[in-house]
Amino acid sequence: MAMNDNTAVTAPAGDYMVRIEGLRKSFGDLEVLRDVNLEVAPGEVVTIIGASGSGKSTLLRCINLLETPDAGHVWFQGSDLTADHVDVNSLREDIGMVFQGFNLFNNMDVLANCTLAPVTRKKMSKGEAETVALEHLRSVGLADFAHAAPSTLSGGQKQRVAIARALCMRPKIMLFDEPTSALDPQIVGEVLEVMRGLASDGMTMVVVTHEMEFARTVSDRVVFMDKGVIAEQGDPEQIFTAPHHARTREFLSRYLKE
Amino acid sequence: MTTASAGARPLGRLASFVLDDHRYVLLGTSVIAAMGMSLSSQPRPALSFLAGAYALEVVLYYLLVAWLVLAAVALAFKLARWKTYAQVSPFTQPTVARALRYGSYAVCGITAVLALDRLGMGIASAWQVAVTAETRPASTLESMLYMLYNSRAIFFSGFKTTVALAVFGTVIAFFLALLLVFLRIQVIDRSDNDFVRFWKVVGSGFARLYSTVVRGTPMMVQAMIIFFGVFALFKMTDLTTTQINAIWSTFTAGLVTIVLNSTAYMMEVLRGGIESVDTGQTEAARSLGLSQWEAMRKVVFPQGVKFAIPGLSNELVINIKDSSVLSVIGTFDLMFATTTVGGIYYAKFEAALVTSVIYLCLTMIASWLLGRLANRLNVKSVKLGSTSDQPVNVEEH
Repeated sequence: MAMNDNTAVTAPAGDYMVRIEGLRKSFGDLEVLRDVNLEVAPGEVVTIIGASGSGKSTLLRCINLLETPDAGHVWFQGSDLTADHVDVNSLREDIGMVFQGFNLFNNMDVLANCTLAPVTRKKMSKGEAETVALEHLRSVGLADFAHAAPSTLSGGQKQRVAIARALCMRPKIMLFDEPTSALDPQIVGEVLEVMRGLASDGMTMVVVTHEMEFARTVSDRVVFMDKGVIAEQGDPEQIFTAPHHARTREFLSRYLKE
Repeated sequence: MTTASAGARPLGRLASFVLDDHRYVLLGTSVIAAMGMSLSSQPRPALSFLAGAYALEVVLYYLLVAWLVLAAVALAFKLARWKTYAQVSPFTQPTVARALRYGSYAVCGITAVLALDRLGMGIASAWQVAVTAETRPASTLESMLYMLYNSRAIFFSGFKTTVALAVFGTVIAFFLALLLVFLRIQVIDRSDNDFVRFWKVVGSGFARLYSTVVRGTPMMVQAMIIFFGVFALFKMTDLTTTQINAIWSTFTAGLVTIVLNSTAYMMEVLRGGIESVDTGQTEAARSLGLSQWEAMRKVVFPQGVKFAIPGLSNELVINIKDSSVLSVIGTFDLMFATTTVGGIYYAKFEAALVTSVIYLCLTMIASWLLGRLANRLNVKSVKLGSTSDQPVNVEEH
């Protein structure tokens, strides 16, 4: 894919985990991201809210390059992910991701799901990787399911395994792409609980979600996206109680009514 | 649903059909009785055991006739009392219904005895004639058995070659197809350098071209090109024709043809299986830092190959049949044996009939074995998921 600017630009100074500059992405004629700028500080929890099709998932997927941006830069700790020939694989080791559809590896049991990447990428021994994996599985309350097949788990359990799997790589940042949208309402809580724990442990997190209560109580900053741009961002209380933008008000009133 | 009950169900259904009283007993067994009567009116073969018990066969025959009469009476009753048949007919009384069920067993038994006497002993008689005959008998069945018996060495040799070609060809092709499909599905990754990118494009293009050419030309033509082409290459050396034939035999050329051909088809089957693996699996693996290759090898491939197993095993059955075209280059397979035997006795039709039976048996055995293999592989996955009755895959998409 042709990048319209893949010359290496020197990393901008400043204390940031992720810095996004002038990001653009189109799927065919559909312009999904139009000049997005965003900075995430270490330890910060940022939630991205917005209507379906506003580009929030695409923005998230650009951070670990599951989507290739058409233009702009994504800096991750001083490395430009959008530069050509960058070692994306090594950088992704530090960027954990949790998907809406869990995406547990169906051909492996829970433990093998967790140890695959540490063994393959970090060259950990199998025993060492299993010790680490069991520790993380215990922290999400699923140590007893280490040898279960993913298909036997409930949705909430699958998503908790997916979180543990990402944590096994000891990532510096975690990306959550609508982690509770595929779950029954009564089991959303168990996944959010794990995410709350992560946030209070100081993990840097970017969360795309429709869980407004979570966005309001857990995040340090809320980003509202509309039609491919960041329409408004700020302190959760400010966004939820006194939004500046008319579109934000409209979106939130629709959500809070439900 | 556990696997055990799923497996037992067809048998259970048959058993309950046989053991239950039901209203179709007369209708169904009348047809069987008529078949038995028709068998009884066939001429007796030489080895017929009922020939010495003429009176017994007459009794059996008239028992069948009696059954048909009974069925006719019941039918007449049904026609006369269409609406109230179930209540008024003597045939629907529980005791009568049970008697009819036992009667139906007797009818089936009689027909089986007659079938054994006429058909089973008929083949045995024909076999006896065939193995003792000096020249080929005129009757088709005896003629077939005569050729099968007298040319058994030729048939067996062809049979062995066909089985070897199909089995070795399919197994070798499977591994080559695995390699080729790797080339075929390569996509350029951001972290690749220009050298890797170049070879990925070349590899994928080669696999595509290979598949198009091989699948777009008849195997018979491929066999000729491979056999005579390589032969011509050997001719350029100092080797004599005898030496070349020792190295580049028709069997080797045939095997190479099957392998090349099967590789292309199996590659496409594998590609289909791999492409049916959810893209989320690759994304999850890539998001953890795995390279394209690692994600393929550890996550996507094992699942894709499993999806492809039915299509892959079908390739063995296809190869059993399609190896017959190799007789064009003189590979001594079952088809070549058939042509040879047919030529010796000047009985092409009977020879082809014999061979079709052998091919049919071979493919049926192969299908059965492969079905069991696939079952065993699937049972594994069912076992893993069997703690839950819910359709567990629904929420994964």
